[in-house]
Amino acid sequence: MEIIQVLSFGLLLGGLYSLLSSGLALIFGVLDIVNVAQGAFLVSGAFLTWQIWESTGIEPILLIPVVALLWFGLGIVIYRTLFVRVAPQGPSMTVLLSFGLALIIEGALNLIFGNKFKSVQTSYSLKSYKLGEINFPAPQVIASLAAAVVLVLLYLYLKLSWAGRALRATAQNRDGAALIGISHRKISSFAYGLGMATAGAGGVLISVSYPIYPATHYEWISKLLGIIVLGGMGSIPGAILGSMLLGIVEAAGNTYAPQWTILFFYGVIILSLLFKPEGLLGARSRKDSV
Amino acid sequence: MINSHKGLRKTALVAAITALGLLITGCGIGSSKNSDPLVIGISLPLTGDFSQPGGAAKKGYEVWASLVNEEGGVLGQQVELNILDDASSAEQVVTDYNRLINQDKVPLILGTFSSLLNFPASTVAENNQMVLVAPAGGSPKIFEPMPKYYFFAQQATAPRQAEPFVNYILSLPESERPKTAAYATMDDPFAAPVISNMQALFEAAGIKTVYSKVYPPETTNFQPFASAIAKAKPDIIAQGAVFEDGVNLAKGLIQIGYSPKAMFQTSAPSNGAQYSDAIGLANTEGIFYAVSWSEKAPTPMNAEFVARYQKLFGEGLVPEEDAADAFAAAQVLQAAVEGTKGTDNVALADWLRANEVQTILGPLSWDEIGRPQGDFLLAQWQSGEVNIVAPEGAKTSNNLIFPKPAWSK
Repeated sequence: MEIIQVLSFGLLLGGLYSLLSSGLALIFGVLDIVNVAQGAFLVSGAFLTWQIWESTGIEPILLIPVVALLWFGLGIVIYRTLFVRVAPQGPSMTVLLSFGLALIIEGALNLIFGNKFKSVQTSYSLKSYKLGEINFPAPQVIASLAAAVVLVLLYLYLKLSWAGRALRATAQNRDGAALIGISHRKISSFAYGLGMATAGAGGVLISVSYPIYPATHYEWISKLLGIIVLGGMGSIPGAILGSMLLGIVEAAGNTYAPQWTILFFYGVIILSLLFKPEGLLGARSRKDSV
Repeated sequence: MINSHKGLRKTALVAAITALGLLITGCGIGSSKNSDPLVIGISLPLTGDFSQPGGAAKKGYEVWASLVNEEGGVLGQQVELNILDDASSAEQVVTDYNRLINQDKVPLILGTFSSLLNFPASTVAENNQMVLVAPAGGSPKIFEPMPKYYFFAQQATAPRQAEPFVNYILSLPESERPKTAAYATMDDPFAAPVISNMQALFEAAGIKTVYSKVYPPETTNFQPFASAIAKAKPDIIAQGAVFEDGVNLAKGLIQIGYSPKAMFQTSAPSNGAQYSDAIGLANTEGIFYAVSWSEKAPTPMNAEFVARYQKLFGEGLVPEEDAADAFAAAQVLQAAVEGTKGTDNVALADWLRANEVQTILGPLSWDEIGRPQGDFLLAQWQSGEVNIVAPEGAKTSNNLIFPKPAWSK
């Protein structure tokens, strides 16, 4: 029975990680940008949720479309004003830019909200659902379900809409997509905006599950980077698979040997890279010389 | 005769010019009263993981400077704080204190926050023979190199934080005394020794350990811990927590519905509204923690500290314990400077080893290697507020809640 409990905790955790990491994978897949600021966008989305909840008392989950849309717009502005200038300088410069952004956001959050933890309290924050002897903490269940809904919507959008198809085409072959008339500039800012929108939605979900604090973005980004490396950089299905696996590893580690959890978490990533360097669902890339 | 008269006039003239020169340059004889500020160098984690206690400590230092300057400063000099941000980095804290001491040439320094950062800071202080009075940093590791210039400005070192709670539990009649205990602690130089010492004391007294785990600081998901602890059914749950981990374990236990007879956490419950907002005010009832300071304590300057804090940072705000600890550290340094009438750091260290200092935490004194010689206070959340329930002389309430009531979901 204990194993089932551990698996449930792990899958719930993995469900949340899936949404949080999918935006990071999307941005890398289309833009070749390792967006180190994703954790900071996530935490700032959580702070915005807290502020609206604190002022209005609204159910936080209902804020997912609002925060996601706001973050989508913000992402387009950030890409068009900053990344579009720096991206031609190469991946290392975009990493530096996004790291700088993360530090600025952390500083701004400190100034606006102070160096204090904030917590969103809902009617289900301290509840859990029971199935026999198995406990399912209500905030994690609700966050995972909401994450699944957002991911399904994202999948359908990428699969069925013209913009989604253009985005996938660019991710698969940038030059080929350009040849059939897909504007790289437009699709890039769209992809960055979409990645940010998932961070906004994810921010809402972490606000109902954890106390939030400006500096926690470091913890989030280190986990999320690990997940997309395991799943395959740029692969959304890979990010979901990586999230589920690492969610289970984390829950099992915390149950049986907590002091080794971090080692297990990153050990799994290192092991998988030894045997499958492109990640579980990543495609082997080839750089053609011209 | 004429010659000797001329000589006398010459001597008087030289003396007068010298005296005038001394007056102009402000180098008076005896206590130095001058218009130059007394600069105190401080490095604090204003960003990064420890920015919460770092920000609170900054406020505490600023409240102290504000009150001291209003009273004419220290030895007649206005105090100026030169505060650098170490970004919660052990490397940066070393750079900061080296810069303050060797580049900015500050005559005095004050400590940073957490044992993790004060440990490297103490090494810099030792190398430069500068007294470092630290508002946090009671890990036993810091005292292993036998420091001469490091003074921890709380009542006791980390392992002894557990003692008031242990003493209370062991004072219960045999029939009421808990029989089993579960321990979980962050692998943190301050929190871990509190819990390991508590476990040793309880085991020696016959209280059986049914769960004992150490977790890394990066741990965020505590439902697995809560589930495993609930399965072990302990009478006591003791956690070496910082903040987020304390809140998340409590939430996990509430969600599962397991409430022990007694619950003790380090640090997390001392964060006032941040703690009660996170787990729900009703769920704080009966939770114990060890604390260095209470806003209700009748210690000298405590009321002034609270009033000035509220004037500077917001009416009605209760100062953080970390702010009070920083204020007390500055009081300790001030007492040493005034006691030695100067800023000779060797003399300051000797003075601190030989004297007791009255602070808002109560009287503090140290042994040869800067370990404080007092006792922590035992605090308990009661009806939505915090009361000191031990030791006898520091009590703010004679009521003590045991066993802890069930969680209120």
